[in-house]
Amino acid sequence: MPRPSKDTAMELLDRYLQAVRKYLPLRRQDDIIAELRANMESQIEDSESELGRSLTQGEFDDFLRKMGHPMVVASRYQPQQYLIGPTMFPMYVYVLRLALLWAFIVCMIVAAVVTPLTNGTGGAVVEALFRTPGILIQTAAWITLVFAAFEFARTRYPNVCPQIEGLNKSWNPSTLPPLEKDSLREGKPRSFAQAVAEIIFSVLFLGWVLLIPHYPFLLLGPGVAILHVSPYQLAPIWWTFFGWIVALGIMQIVAKCIDLARGSWERPSRIQQIAFKIVGLIPVLVLLAAPGHIYVFLKNSAVDQARLGQNLDQVNNAIHLGFSVICAIVVLQLAFDIGKLVSEGYRSREGRS
Amino acid sequence: MTVAESTFENLRLELRRGCLTLAVLAQLKQEHYGYTLRKELAEHGLEIDESTLYPLLRRLETQGLLTSQWREEEKRNKRFYRLSLEGEQILSRLLAEWNSINTSVLRILDAPKSETAPDAEAK
Repeated sequence: MPRPSKDTAMELLDRYLQAVRKYLPLRRQDDIIAELRANMESQIEDSESELGRSLTQGEFDDFLRKMGHPMVVASRYQPQQYLIGPTMFPMYVYVLRLALLWAFIVCMIVAAVVTPLTNGTGGAVVEALFRTPGILIQTAAWITLVFAAFEFARTRYPNVCPQIEGLNKSWNPSTLPPLEKDSLREGKPRSFAQAVAEIIFSVLFLGWVLLIPHYPFLLLGPGVAILHVSPYQLAPIWWTFFGWIVALGIMQIVAKCIDLARGSWERPSRIQQIAFKIVGLIPVLVLLAAPGHIYVFLKNSAVDQARLGQNLDQVNNAIHLGFSVICAIVVLQLAFDIGKLVSEGYRSREGRS
Repeated sequence: MTVAESTFENLRLELRRGCLTLAVLAQLKQEHYGYTLRKELAEHGLEIDESTLYPLLRRLETQGLLTSQWREEEKRNKRFYRLSLEGEQILSRLLAEWNSINTSVLRILDAPKSETAPDAEAK
C-alpha cells in the first residue's frame, strides 16, 4: 500500500478542509476550519503514533471518508432550521386545507356558472376547469411562502416578532365541535314497512309526474289558466328533461324493489346513492346544453317579438343561471360524498389492517 | 435496509441524541478540546462521530452551556471547552430527569405481569 508523503497527506487534508469551508456559514468559516484542522491533525498524529508509522494512502482516505462528505460535515454546523417549524406546522396544514377547499369551490363555481354566463362556449368551460390545478398550486405556494416567511422572522428576530405559543396553550375543551353523526354506522335502520311505503310513494309520485303533461293543473293548480293566456310556450327541450325525470323515477323504484328482494333495505348503499346523484345530473345537463339556451319562446313571435323579446331573453337567461347554480351545487355535493366514501373506505381498510 | 431496521435506526438515533448531549456536558466538567473529548467518551464506551461531536460542541456553546478558549498545546492551537455556570445547572437538572426516566423504565420492566396488565388475571 503506497504511503503518502507528509506533504501529500497535508495537501489532501487542506483540500478536504477547503471543500468543507465552502459550505460553512461565512462569518464562522475560519474559526470552524481552524478547530476542525486541530482536531483532525491530533487524530492523525495519534493514529500514527499508535501504528508506529505514517498512515498509508488508503488509511488516510478511509480517515477522511469516515469524517464524512464535506457538504454533510459542514451542514451539521448550520443552525437547525425549519421551513415551517413544529409550532406553526399544524396551523399551516389547517389553513392550507381550508384555502385549497375554498379555492376549489370558487374555481368550480367560476367554471360551472360564471364562465357559461359570460362566455357561453363549452371550450371556455373546459379551459376554466383546466386552470383549476394551476390555481390550487399557486394558492398552496402563497400560503407556504407566507408561513415560511413568518417562521423565518419568528426565529431570526424573536424580540420583534410576536411569539406563537402553539395550539396547545390557548385551546378550551368546551369549544370542541359536537359529535358528528355518521349516518352510515349510527343512523337508524329503515324498517320493512318504511321501505315498502317508500316504494308505494315513489310509484304514486311517478304516476303524478306522468299525468302532468295531460293535466297541467296537477303541477300549477289554478295557475294553469295563466299558462293558457300567456304569450310564452315551453321549448321542446323540456320533453327531453321530462323523459329523463321519468327514467330516473323508474330506476329508483327498480333499485328499491331489488333492495327489498335482497333483504338489504335497512341501510341504503352509499355507492347506490352516489350513482343516483351522478345520473340525476343528466337532466340538468340536458337543460344546460339546450340549443341557444332557449327554454321558453313566444307562441306568436311575429306579433309579440317587439314587445316581449327582451323579457324573453331575460327569462331564458334566468332559467339557465338557475340550472347552472343547481348543477354546481350537485357537483360539489357529489365531490363531497365521493371524498367521504373514499376516506371511510380508507379508514375501514386501515382499521382492519 | 428493511422497514423494521430503518424504524429501529431512527428510534435508536432519537434515543441516543439526548443521551449524547448529557454525556458531553458531564464529560466537560473537565476541560477538553474536541479530539480528546471524543477519546474520553470512547474510553467510557460512548463512541461518537467527529462530524456529530464537533458541531454539537458549537451548538452547546451557542446555547451558553459551554465556554471555550483558544490555547496553544503541543505547538498547536486548540479550542478547549468547559462547562459554563449555566451549563452546570442545566446538567444537574437533566441528570435528575434522566435518572427519573431511567428508574421508571426499569421499574416498568421489572414489574410483575399482573401489575402491568390487570386484565390478564381476569382472563
